[in-house]
Amino acid sequence: MKNDNASITASASIRTNEKSRRHFLKGFTTMLGGVAVGSLVTGNAISVAMAYVPSNDNMLTDGKIFNKNQLVLLKQICSIVIPKTDTLGAAEVDTHGFIDNQLYHCHTKEDQNTVLALLTLIDSRAKQQGSNSFIKLTAKQQFQLLTELDLGEHSFDQIQRADFKLLKQYICFGYYTSEVGATQELRYDPVPGGFKGSIPYKKSDPTWATRGLFN
Amino acid sequence: MKEQVYINKSSEVYDAIVIGSGISGGWAAKEFCERGYKTLMIERGGVVEHRKDYSGENTPLWKQEHRGKVENILVDQQHNIQKQCYAFGNATKQLFGNDRDLPYTTKPGTEFSWIRGNMLGGKSLLWHRQTYRLGEYDFNANKLDGYGNDWPIRTKDIEKWYSHVEIHAGISGSKENLPNLPDSEFLPPFEMMAPEKAIKAKFAELYPERPLIMGRTAHLTKPSKLHISQGRVQCQARNECHAGCSYGAYFSTQSSTLPAAAKTGNLHIAPNSVVHSLIYDEKTNRVKGVRVIDNNDLSEREYFAKVIFVCASTIGSTQILMNSTSKKFPNGIANSSGVLGHYLMDHNYNSVASGDIDGFENEYYSGRRPSGLMMPNFYYKPDPKRGFLRGYALGASAYREGWDSQQHQDGLGVEYKNKIKQAGKWRFGLYAQGEMLPRFENQMRLHPTLKDKWGIPQIEFDVRYTENEQLMMEDAAEQSIKMLKAAGLKNVSGRSTHRPPGIAIHELGTARMGRDPKTSILNGFNQSHDIPNLFVTDGASFCSSAVQNPSLTFMALTARAVDYAVKEVAAKRI
Repeated sequence: MKNDNASITASASIRTNEKSRRHFLKGFTTMLGGVAVGSLVTGNAISVAMAYVPSNDNMLTDGKIFNKNQLVLLKQICSIVIPKTDTLGAAEVDTHGFIDNQLYHCHTKEDQNTVLALLTLIDSRAKQQGSNSFIKLTAKQQFQLLTELDLGEHSFDQIQRADFKLLKQYICFGYYTSEVGATQELRYDPVPGGFKGSIPYKKSDPTWATRGLFN
Repeated sequence: MKEQVYINKSSEVYDAIVIGSGISGGWAAKEFCERGYKTLMIERGGVVEHRKDYSGENTPLWKQEHRGKVENILVDQQHNIQKQCYAFGNATKQLFGNDRDLPYTTKPGTEFSWIRGNMLGGKSLLWHRQTYRLGEYDFNANKLDGYGNDWPIRTKDIEKWYSHVEIHAGISGSKENLPNLPDSEFLPPFEMMAPEKAIKAKFAELYPERPLIMGRTAHLTKPSKLHISQGRVQCQARNECHAGCSYGAYFSTQSSTLPAAAKTGNLHIAPNSVVHSLIYDEKTNRVKGVRVIDNNDLSEREYFAKVIFVCASTIGSTQILMNSTSKKFPNGIANSSGVLGHYLMDHNYNSVASGDIDGFENEYYSGRRPSGLMMPNFYYKPDPKRGFLRGYALGASAYREGWDSQQHQDGLGVEYKNKIKQAGKWRFGLYAQGEMLPRFENQMRLHPTLKDKWGIPQIEFDVRYTENEQLMMEDAAEQSIKMLKAAGLKNVSGRSTHRPPGIAIHELGTARMGRDPKTSILNGFNQSHDIPNLFVTDGASFCSSAVQNPSLTFMALTARAVDYAVKEVAAKRI
């Protein structure tokens, strides 16, 4: 609690050498001119440690909401909704594992049950096509089934369609807020350096990954 | 040996005590310290050190717990009210109050959302940084229609103090010479996006009385030598301000007023000190200090000073006054008029409208602009034909759809992924911020039985929007839709909404200024009519809400009040 005058003035004490913080503060001293500032910001160790860490082996065990089989199914759905192209897809960045964790911690029971029921629905429709599960269908059949669900066509109704749209939102959130989604598929600039109201855009340019802290 | 800034126990009689460390408290401390006053700033919450305690800063979503969302259990147990604030999230949650420890009630049938920032720096760390002067029509409004009392000041009384605080704080904006929105001392404005410029031009043609201007905001778009000497640099357009800004690019207590105050060597800070009440000396008719309950261990202590500035936020300041009772002031100190707690106001953000903008496919922007645009109140002149009193400003901004909009479309697979990758349509929206009439009935009071964990009576709110506010928001939605359609936008939709008072976090009134001690708490210098060495300079002192974001006026009123208080002390009238 004790501190002296100097520490709350501009020349605060030098803290950390953590790499991302160094990047963040690049150019800081130059901008300040004569004022000696140095590296001023602590790393966010707690937050980083608690962030969801993508895993390659979560398919071997039950998750927090989904059992092993449901995770395998969800992974397959992720890979169909956002497949690998010249960048990794949703399954490769463990979006299924992220959704399991995120639904458990930050969503309502109702949301969790919606996704559970949807997974059951998808498998039961696969069974009606003579397969014993969705993942045993051919790639073409899987794509076809999810497309019908996405459009609420054939055996799917509009409520089921809306539920699938919700799952697509979870997949998109998981993917586009992942490091790969934000920085490789889309564009992310942690410290833009200023705002320019007009820059050229052509159709092949990726969109910005974020507009700020809250979106 | 260096003097210690942070103190706990002290028997010293300070020259001034400032209760609160937010926008108003920070300014009071700076101005007193720079005038040679030994100043004690009292803060109910813990210390947040500039830079080192911005623990959520510059952390991309994938490195944040729950990608920026907050865990259910934490929200349910600690932030059930605070979660209503748009700025509440994983990177900011530690800066919001803990609702479990900060209970309050609302009169049955009423609602009030009370958002709290109880730490060093207060809501100066969490504010949205929009900064506008009040105009002559605003100061005249109560007098003209009879709601509320007449402001005891006019623009001529405060304009030099606006300039004083603006030069130090750094306000970006464009000079516009508008009849009711005086220009500030400006740093360059943020740039508009191409579709915004086009809509501005269209509005100028269709509605010359309704200019669309760049938002005025407390960001260093081009820092002056003074700002650089404070350790502040240019805004980097991250738009992550609420997590804290180590660049000091937006005005906060930590970035701007606290370093200036600390530099004088006259500043002391008592953190974790919840003010219970003021100590009143009936013989001298002066407040001589404050009673404090320790935020953590609930022990009691007292601090003493010759002058006391209450800058504890609108509700917080009035709560302290109400809880300071004595034989002479049984209904709250400085409340001989009986209006303490009354005329509570907020701004009414209950109208939205938006639409699609055709074209501009080859246009984009870079950086994340921490401000939108503003259409200043075009109803500043009273007009009985309008059907409601006062008016509203319209906030505005364009954006180009990204993944969060495009994810909703039909589709799967490569095609879906590639569509989301590309920028979508341009959209443009308007939202209202309306004036709320000052009404005696809208009030806060101390709950007769319920207390918080520090033993301080809880607040009970009794605040309602009335027909005037509702008609105004319906008009705002109608006008917004009409203007967007006229400007050629497609798929325009809009509506008035029903969010409760308080959620704009512009609480104002409850210890209003005025010329008449029988109907007001404070005089034209924010000084108590009843007790000469007691001042309240935050939003509690407002006579009307106007439509402008009020923080800049907190700064100017506070700096002006300190200047006055110091002169009164010198003249031995305090």
